[in-house]
Order: sequence, then C-alpha cells, then structure tokens
Amino acid sequence: MKTYGDIPGDAGSDVLGQVNAQQERLRARMARIHTKVAVLSGKGGVGKSVIVANLAAAFAEGGLRVGVLDADINGPSLGKILGVRGQRLAFETAGVQPALGPLGIRVLSMDLFLPSDETPVLWTGPTEGGGYLWRGAMEAATLREFLADTEWGELDLLLLDLPPGTDRIPSLLSLLPELHGIVIVTLPSQVSQLIVAKSVTMTKEIVKAPILGLVENMAAHRCAHCGAEEALFAGEDSAQMAERLAIPFLGRVPFDPVLTRCADEGTPVLLSHPTAPAAQALSRIAAKIGEALHLTPALVKAEESP
Amino acid sequence: MKFLCVPCDEAMKITETKGPEDGSLAVVFGCPSCRRQVAMLTNPMETQMVRSLDVKIGGQQAPHDPMAFVRSSLAVKREEVPSPSEPSSTGSGCPFTSIANSAFERQGSMGGAIWSEEAAERLNNIPSFVRSWAQKGIEQYAREKGHQRITVEVMEEARQRFGM
Repeated sequence: MKTYGDIPGDAGSDVLGQVNAQQERLRARMARIHTKVAVLSGKGGVGKSVIVANLAAAFAEGGLRVGVLDADINGPSLGKILGVRGQRLAFETAGVQPALGPLGIRVLSMDLFLPSDETPVLWTGPTEGGGYLWRGAMEAATLREFLADTEWGELDLLLLDLPPGTDRIPSLLSLLPELHGIVIVTLPSQVSQLIVAKSVTMTKEIVKAPILGLVENMAAHRCAHCGAEEALFAGEDSAQMAERLAIPFLGRVPFDPVLTRCADEGTPVLLSHPTAPAAQALSRIAAKIGEALHLTPALVKAEESP
Repeated sequence: MKFLCVPCDEAMKITETKGPEDGSLAVVFGCPSCRRQVAMLTNPMETQMVRSLDVKIGGQQAPHDPMAFVRSSLAVKREEVPSPSEPSSTGSGCPFTSIANSAFERQGSMGGAIWSEEAAERLNNIPSFVRSWAQKGIEQYAREKGHQRITVEVMEEARQRFGM
C-alpha cells in the first residue's frame, strides 16, 4: 500500500502552491522596501506606538519615504497617534492604498477597518469555541495580508509596531526573514525590564535577529516649574541593562505630557513641538538608528544637535 | 492530508466541496480508478482552523483579491470596506475559504427573518458593536433549523450553539 511520501502533491488543492504564492506576493511587495525595522517590547503599555510614530516622523522629516504597519491587530493605536483614523482605505486590484499620515507617512492599521471606537476585532465563524486554537492563525494571516496586499510603493523604511508578547518576533520573522533590525522599548521599571529581558533573549539568542538597541521610555519627569528631574520608576538603569544584555543603548525618552497630548491629538511631537525634551530625545534616537542602518546622512546630523 | 483508495492503491482526488452548513464543509474525494467516493465532513472547529490558514480546498483558481481574507473574516467592519469578490464571480473551482467566508458573510443578509417583539427587544439589549454580528448569526441559525420566527427560545438555542 502506498504511503504518504509515495503520493506526489495533494488531492488537488495544491496547498503548498497556495502558500508559496502567498509568500511570493509578500516577497515581491517587500522587495520594494529598502529597510524594515520592528519595534517591540514584550511588555504592554511602554509607549511603543508613540515611539514608532515619532521615529517615522523623524525619518520622514529627514527625507525618507516611510511606511508604518500597526501589527497590533487587536489593540491598534497608530491610526489615532498619526491622525489617520478618519481616512478611507482605497481597495484596488494591485493592492490597498494605505492611509497617509504626516509628511506622507503611509499607515496601515486594523483601526482603518473598524467602524467605531467601541468596536473590537471580531472574526466571523461558525464557532467562537476553541478560539484560542484558531485566533492566532487568523492574526498571522491578517498580518501577512497587511504586509503583502498594501500598496506601500517604494519605501526607504517600513516600521512595524509589534504588540506585546515575547512570541511576536519569531512569528514576524517567519513572514519577514529579511528584517533589518529590531528596536526594543522598555520602561525603567523592574516589572517592564523583567519582560523586556525575555524579549532580548528571544530576539538575540533564540531567533538570532539583529537588535538595533534598547530605548528607555518615560525615563524621568521634569518639573515644569523648577526643571528638576524626578525618576518615575525604580528599576535598573536601562543603559546598564543594555550593557548587561550586550545590546546597544539608544537613549532615554523623558516622560513629557506634551508627548502624550500630541499622541492623543494625532500629531507626532517631533513635528509639532520639535524643541520639547521628548522630541529632542526621539530625534537623537532616530539619528542613531539611521546611522546604524546607513539610512541617510541627513539624520546623522540630528545627532549633533543638542 | 491525502486520501488513498486502498483496493486500488490510488491517491484520491477532490471532486467536489459543499457547504458550509451548520459550520460543516463536505469535501468529496474520488478514486480515479474505481470511481469510489468518500466525503470528509469537517466540524465547525476544523472548518475554522482551515479557514484561518487562508488556503482554499480544491485549489486557488481565482485572481488574487487584495486583503480578501481580512475583509471576509471581520464580523464588523467599516461600511466602505468592500466585501471580496464572490467565488461565483471569479470563476474559482472549490475555494474552501471563499466558500466558508462568503457563507459566513451571507449570514443574516438574506432578510425576511421575523423577530418576535420579545426577541427584538433582547436583540436591542446586545451592545451595538456586536449587534449586527449577533443578528446575522441568529438569523442564519434560525434558517438552518427551519425556524420561521425568531423567538427568545431560538435566540437562546443560537446562543448555546455559537457560545455567544
């Protein structure tokens, strides 16, 4: 009796061929994007999306063609942070035209598919039972479509904002093995650093993806009256943490109410308040990333600014 | 997964797919030699699992439709987000997920359902962002079970069936 290996192909579905076609579409789309960088933490609530939005603004301001993919399927926030929630996606044969953010930043987020603030991501299906088994596959297929079916055009840089979870980077790498770099964001709190250290291990040791460096967000609060800095958290110094984990330290972003207000208003602080301490810090971090990736000389100049 | 006709020692081929009905798809395989047929019947979980992989049983013959998977899979989406092309309009053979997705999408869109006053009131108590999704599911369930009228009892049956 024949065995599995004796029968070439399948019963007629050509599932392998279909998967290959999916990957080919993804490869062809990504081939037009020079550099792909993921921003992750592992921990939720550390301000990744705000950092992604402002890094995108910094690079766009530096003259790069930038796209941003909100890979947080269930908790999309980049649409709001970049002020594109009201835009309509254009569905064309060649792909879906993304929303256009400040400075022409191309934005794709699940938020652009949802009808209202209160609407969560709900999948149609014959059963909600056992959702834990199939929901991950739905999200992976969605992320693949977002990458492959968005008409990104020619981009110098695509930034991917990953949701919390230390498992996110291996999942992304299965789609995007050519990822050029990963920025890891932490708060200077022990709780955050506990999780972020796991993400570093996953990225560096397990999947061996290139880490561009560690960013410390909400580093300290500067008093608006006297200018004195006050630490908000009592964790390990993030620069020391980076050194201990043998990864570059990219810088600290101070806690700045202007930054959060701008995020709520859908405007990157880096564009609306370029002299704010947080904006300056984000510019310097963007410059370091740009330098590491040889993105553009214009960005390197920003590093020299105070 | 492959199917082997044991008497002929021949690999069976897909000849037809049907459904989904009540969350189940029927995929019919035939032996090219003896013409014997078997049908693989999926349960709702299996249907959903294969669907979530975005592959089509019977082969992908339709042209690629950008973000068809997301558009057909979201239970609640913006009005301006168009539904993907129906399988019949693309000339595809047996697209598993297209069949599944379009069937799920058609849930509740056929109209004609009669709701009792009590049931309608109960429907209105469902949060707005999931109401249309729930309504479609209940109407689809009622059609499948042959209920002409949707009552609170039918809603309760549907709730238990779908785990809502």
